[in-house]
Amino acid sequence: METSQILLVFFGGLVPMAAVAFALGRRKALLSDAAGSRMHSLPAQYGVYVATWMALPALAIGIVAASAALLGLQVPSAPFVLSFALFGAAVGLMIALRKVEPTLRARNAIEKFVYWTLFAASLVSILTTFGIIISILFEALKFFSQVSVWDFVTGTNWSPVATFRPGQQAADSQFGSVPLFAGTFMITLVAMSVAIPVGLLSAIYMSEYASYRVRTLAKPMLEILAGIPTVVYGFFAAITVSPLVVEVANFFGLHASYTNALAPGLVMGIMIIPFISSLSDDVINSIPNSLREGAYALGATKSETIKQIILPAAFPGIMAAALLGVSRALGETMIVVMAAGLRPNLTWNPLEDMTTVTVRIVDALTGDQAFDSPETLAAFALGLVLFVVTLTLNLISIIVIRKFRQSYE
Amino acid sequence: MRTRDLTGDSTQVVRVPTTERPRVNQKTKMKVRDLEVWYGEKQALHGVSMDVAENEVTALIGPSGCGKSTFLRCLNRMNDLIPDVRIKGEVEFENQNIYAPEVDVVELRSHIGMVFQKPNPFPKSIYDNIAYAPKILGQVRKRTDMEDLVEHSLKRAGLWEEVKDRLQMPGLSLSGGQQQRLCIARAIAVSPSVLLMDEPCSALDPVATATVEQLIDELKENYTIVIVTHNLQQAARVAGYTAFFHLGNIVEYSDTDSLFTHPREKKTEDYITGRYG
Amino acid sequence: MSQGITLSPSRQLKKRYRAEKRFKAYCIGALVLAMAFLVLFFTDMIRQGYSAFVQTEIEVEVTYNEDTVKFTNESVREEVSPLISRAFYRTIPRRVDANPELMGTTETRWLTATAHVDQYRKGYSDRLDPELKATLDRLDSEGRVSYGFNSGLFFSGDSKIPSNAGLWSAFVGSFYVMIVVLLVSFPIGVATAIYLEEFAPDNRFTQGIEININNLAAVPSILFGLLGLAIFINFFGVPRSSALAGGLTLSLMTLPVIIISTRAALKAVPQNIRQGAQAVGASRWQAIRDHVLPLSLPGILTGTIIGIAQAMGETAPLLLIGMIAYIPDAPTSMTEAATVLPAQIFTWSGMPEGAYVSLTAAGILVLLSLLITLNATAVILRNRFERRW
Ligand SMILES: Nc1ncnc2c1ncn2[C@@H]1O[C@H](COP(=O)(O)OP(=O)(O)OP(=O)(O)O)[C@@H](O)[C@H]1O
Ligand SMILES: [Mg+2]
Repeated sequence: METSQILLVFFGGLVPMAAVAFALGRRKALLSDAAGSRMHSLPAQYGVYVATWMALPALAIGIVAASAALLGLQVPSAPFVLSFALFGAAVGLMIALRKVEPTLRARNAIEKFVYWTLFAASLVSILTTFGIIISILFEALKFFSQVSVWDFVTGTNWSPVATFRPGQQAADSQFGSVPLFAGTFMITLVAMSVAIPVGLLSAIYMSEYASYRVRTLAKPMLEILAGIPTVVYGFFAAITVSPLVVEVANFFGLHASYTNALAPGLVMGIMIIPFISSLSDDVINSIPNSLREGAYALGATKSETIKQIILPAAFPGIMAAALLGVSRALGETMIVVMAAGLRPNLTWNPLEDMTTVTVRIVDALTGDQAFDSPETLAAFALGLVLFVVTLTLNLISIIVIRKFRQSYE
Repeated sequence: MRTRDLTGDSTQVVRVPTTERPRVNQKTKMKVRDLEVWYGEKQALHGVSMDVAENEVTALIGPSGCGKSTFLRCLNRMNDLIPDVRIKGEVEFENQNIYAPEVDVVELRSHIGMVFQKPNPFPKSIYDNIAYAPKILGQVRKRTDMEDLVEHSLKRAGLWEEVKDRLQMPGLSLSGGQQQRLCIARAIAVSPSVLLMDEPCSALDPVATATVEQLIDELKENYTIVIVTHNLQQAARVAGYTAFFHLGNIVEYSDTDSLFTHPREKKTEDYITGRYG
Repeated sequence: MSQGITLSPSRQLKKRYRAEKRFKAYCIGALVLAMAFLVLFFTDMIRQGYSAFVQTEIEVEVTYNEDTVKFTNESVREEVSPLISRAFYRTIPRRVDANPELMGTTETRWLTATAHVDQYRKGYSDRLDPELKATLDRLDSEGRVSYGFNSGLFFSGDSKIPSNAGLWSAFVGSFYVMIVVLLVSFPIGVATAIYLEEFAPDNRFTQGIEININNLAAVPSILFGLLGLAIFINFFGVPRSSALAGGLTLSLMTLPVIIISTRAALKAVPQNIRQGAQAVGASRWQAIRDHVLPLSLPGILTGTIIGIAQAMGETAPLLLIGMIAYIPDAPTSMTEAATVLPAQIFTWSGMPEGAYVSLTAAGILVLLSLLITLNATAVILRNRFERRW
């Protein structure tokens, strides 16, 4: 049977059965109510109670069978599983129906079920994090079993060429990640030196100087900047900014590569401006007005108040915003894939082409290498480093922001 | 005690001629004339006139929302910072109308300091809290002078003994009463000639309140002080003059003793005897 | 003691005011710079992309007979033939099959020109054969060349012939992916938010979940791609490149956005609504279901739309799960290979032919207008229905 057919039969059977279960539970409650015994909960709640107990075993059986099948385990045939699920449903229905008594607290039972459902949902986010860690870690460990961590961290030559063969371990391949991190670092540096000043100063202008009208106009404009997809920024960087950088460099008698690191860095900076500005804006606005008044009452000018009172007070929050910005820049992919180079290049000159961690990850996983080729595994190793670094930055800034919020509540 | 006039409607706003100068022989520091303030459409002050005596403590009392803070904040143009505020009338200080176009607010505020209801020390060290304003105003340049000034101001504010060993600690690490005294020290460090205080003791316990009151008493030697308070005993204790505000008007203004013992207006009497809501 | 106080600015204060002016100028400058980027960006995209919304069309006589069905490019006059897009010739046999009465007739039609001709006419390239140029100019003077709306941009799938390439398969792919994202992340996200905001005890574990969600919102998107690749595709065997794989991956990215905004919406409902409902005998859950949720619905929907818009523009994780395949025909199910709008834009941006540059920019303009519409809807929803307490 087709998957879709199985699903159709499964839910096609379950939904009417749940309706019947609901009706039965409700009827029993109504009847015993009419017979004079006061029920604890409303009749409909008994209905929901019975329907839930009927559906749960069936769903559980279905899910177990489906995951087993996906994992490639031996699973009994679909009709068998279906009838087994139906059987489970029938048993659940019988037991639940029998339990419908005046003393049964159906409402509390439903609430408990709701509570645990909500709780289970909240675990999905934790599972996601675990999923990311597991999916990266296994492949990365495979990689590090063949390439030493030391070579990976300190090597300055990245040239994955040969495939691993038994006995002849990656003889010609070099997995020194320093040039990749240098490129990532350079582009991040360029991006942040655009984003932090522009973002912070615009935030200051909007929260301290701008009239209500300017604010209502400027804020959505910045939000538009934030809503532009990265692939679009990437195209902009590659098609407009890179040639511009080359021309400007030529004008000054410098040579710039068409895949220079400056263009993606600048464009990434533009992308991060709204990010920094909206976070800083929040932070500055959360500084209580009494501090401003305190400074004005002493005869401080506005900019003195901002520079010497507001900004120092807001510093932790702004710092956290900047760290989140850095984390974004490090992990940004499309802009560098489209506008930065592919060649690992260890240099201080942003006019040269450089490659980044994310570029190499994409390159390794979109090519036609076998899934366990050394280059593919290396991509997971790079992913692991990226994850650890961004996780550290994110955690620091999340904790700093939490502390900051608490101190001004 | 006088009998209450049961026919009189105490909520009706009566424009009573106010005594602008309670006593003739006292030198006047600030003259307020026909001050009207609107917040958007809402009028908060309805033409208030008042003279503030030099080197004296003047208390502003009255029910909540009657415009005391509004009035006080007009004296150093703190209200300019509120959007949609409109101010009419004159406030004379040093023979100049502070609302005249050529007057500079920043300059003005360095002469008329303010202490707020909630202590608001800057998130800096105790030392820097006090040194901040003299530094930006360019009053003190030498480090040793600054140290002297910090010590002097803290002593004036009666805080020196408690903090002299921890001047580099954050100002926010002090207790509420200490913070308020730090704010007073901060305000007097720039040697203003007028000090405005908006309910400076409302966040403090009785002991800290007593300290601040004593401080106010000492400060009036050199400063003209205007203080808003809800605590009538406090007004009686510290102020030489008291003004009673009601619904954006001054109902009565005289020396504190006569206002509390022989109020001329019935509303004043109701208020100070606690019959007012 | 205060003799001679003047209230006009002193020399020293004037100096401070100059610093004040400078600082304010920096702030304005920064904002203007940010706005200038925005303007520069949009003018650049429009300049690059507007021309792709129209296409050069040429009026020609098409002859249908035994020969031209076989050698389709002979269906028009020899000199004109190389001016017409190859895509047209391919349709001839099918067209004749469908309408046998056309056989042996000649009709006058407006046909799409080749990308070369189009680029030449639009002034992007001069690399057109001189003979063809002459023919084109002659036709032009006869009024047989003009621009027509490029409906193929919207209604046909991807193609290796630039004049024939369109966004249709990407539209369908994006639609499927968004359905999956909505079905997965909306219920789970809202449930998580309700749990955290209304039920969760304030303990270490709850704080851990919260921090974890905030972190997920900031994890580089490409790492979600690695997860999708390793878990959904390699472990669970979801078909590679499929809308299902893409949708599941993007769901996990959208989840934190929905959770965070739903929590904010729930938090905005005042506590006394809950207490009021519970005071008349509703249970905690009933109070939430009947009172809190309806009141916070606009906020929740706003957050969801913004999350969906974000997912709709996401590309990086989709590259890793293979959603950059060449998809000429729109997928018909969740498990077929599909592409999405941003991935289509990425693919086009990598094509060597010049004509794809304007196509890419046009695709970007289409994507941006979709996203802006979505976000504007969210803003309107918020302003319209959001209650201030
Ligand atoms: N920023 C503002 N915007 C609008 N209205 C205001 C503002 N500040 C004060 N008001 C209004 O002006 C009136 C006077 O307020 P004000 O703060 O001066 O009262 P107050 O006498 O200081 O009261 P309290 O004793 O409670 O501090 C009040 O009705 C108040 O609602
Ligand atoms: Mg007040």
